[in-house]
Amino acid sequence: MTTTRRNAPAGAPVLACRDLAVVRGRREVLRLDALEVAAGATVAVLGPNGAGKSTLLLAGALLLPAGRGEVALFGERPRGAADAVRLRRGTATVFQEPGLLDMTAQRNVETALALHGVPRGERGPRALEWLGRLGVRHLAGARPHTLSGGEAQRVSLARAFAVRPRLLFLDEPFSALDPGSHAPLVGELHALLASEGTAALLATHDLSEARLLADRALVLLDGHPAQLGPTREVFDRPAGRAVASFLGYSTVDASWLRARLGLPAGPAGDAFVPPAAARLAGPGDPSALAARVVAVLGALGQGRVVVDAGAPLTAEVPVERIRADGLGAGAAVRVAIDAARVAWPGGSAD
Amino acid sequence: MDLLLEAIAEAWRLLTTGDADVYGITARTAAITGTSTLVSMLIGMPAGMALALGRFPGRRPLVALANAGTGMPPVVAGLIVAMLLWRSGPLGSLRLIYTPAAIVVAQTLIATPVIAALTAAAVMALPPSLHLQIRAMGAGRSQYLWLVAREARLPLLVAVMAGFGAVISEVGASMMVGGNLAGSTRVLTTASVLEVGKGQFGTALALGFILVAVTIGVSLVLSAVQQRAQRR
Repeated sequence: MTTTRRNAPAGAPVLACRDLAVVRGRREVLRLDALEVAAGATVAVLGPNGAGKSTLLLAGALLLPAGRGEVALFGERPRGAADAVRLRRGTATVFQEPGLLDMTAQRNVETALALHGVPRGERGPRALEWLGRLGVRHLAGARPHTLSGGEAQRVSLARAFAVRPRLLFLDEPFSALDPGSHAPLVGELHALLASEGTAALLATHDLSEARLLADRALVLLDGHPAQLGPTREVFDRPAGRAVASFLGYSTVDASWLRARLGLPAGPAGDAFVPPAAARLAGPGDPSALAARVVAVLGALGQGRVVVDAGAPLTAEVPVERIRADGLGAGAAVRVAIDAARVAWPGGSAD
Repeated sequence: MDLLLEAIAEAWRLLTTGDADVYGITARTAAITGTSTLVSMLIGMPAGMALALGRFPGRRPLVALANAGTGMPPVVAGLIVAMLLWRSGPLGSLRLIYTPAAIVVAQTLIATPVIAALTAAAVMALPPSLHLQIRAMGAGRSQYLWLVAREARLPLLVAVMAGFGAVISEVGASMMVGGNLAGSTRVLTTASVLEVGKGQFGTALALGFILVAVTIGVSLVLSAVQQRAQRR
């Protein structure tokens, strides 16, 4: 069996997309000038539904033909369908649906190993080893319809890691899971990516997942890249109102906010306030802004309220407090802003 | 009532005494319908897979044609094959008319659309994400086709059962292209028709019993295979 390892030029990114355009039907759904995933690195592709995240992953995995531009895996561009299969065997893909074949969990993993040319005698032990590492060895003989969503996705991850891919495509793999299954699995994936040195392209709209797993982040909006950079930079300094809005940040006038917070004047422009930088304050906090609640929002594990403090701001509030204080539209509150966590024009508050 | 009782008694006698004619016809029927079903599978399953998975001009009309073909009247299939194989017909030089091979050709014409249409329906019923998953696992073209067929194995067995059912029960085409020649092209259905025409209800009933037994037997075997496949 030919492997991609032998032919890959040393130091080449495991995935490189250049001048990529993907058309589905008659509509261009993705346009991307350049994207590289370095060996061992994780790049998160963020964006709302329909932004082109899955399209990018499918094009990267050579499962969807690019209308224009090029996709290179392990430094090689595919020269035809058979070559695409050869290169794809250096990768593995986990979709939102576990996509298990109608056979036992162990045979699912063994089938993937067989497709990758692993000798018959090695398949069983390796399948059991990976099912064990994902905590589902006891389900080796179980068929897909008997597994819970979390168990099935663990089998799917075991099947992906068992083939020892150099690049893993993860297409919202945890978005269909309940919180009880979701959180531990994200943590385990984080550990596995690090221990195996596997590169990953992760499509997600879960921001905390991206912050934990990814070295770099690409924000896609309406099929176009809105920002690409180190994950922390994307979250600390959104590239514009559209990215800030996607991240859930409030956009306010920087001069107005500085004045309200008693800060010295600085560069004019938009200031982006993450919900975590705004909190409800008590009456004794002199720097807090008087505001009225406009709306109460639900969010995973954390409540949010939108307030009008002269400009609309979103603040993170524990759900218990929302219930205890009976917060609702029109309620008078005070909002404290952590200036150090605000993305200011020019990079800092002063 | 007497007629029915006499017929049942005669049928019992023929079955228990091992009547050579009856068993000869049965063996010939098994050989002809088995061959027809096998050939129909070899043509119909790849054709059904191509209809389900292929992206080529004219695919939709071909799917519609295969679906329509499931209702192909056996006499029409027989008529087409008879005209082709008739001594003065385009394939007359092959001298196949009134031979078991002619029946196989006609029955294949009947069963192939059934198997192709049901195969296409079975494969098209698989979730689209499964196709993507199999390719993402690194499957080459033949591996992909094998795994898709494996995922659709239960409805594919139903397709085979339906194809076999269509040929074991037809009489019009066999009569038309086989001629119901004793010791050569006489099968269970055509022999039953002949015996009823002669008023030999006992023999016809014995042949009918065997026909039903063969049909049930094959269905049981395929059902067992299906249930085994379900457990794997």
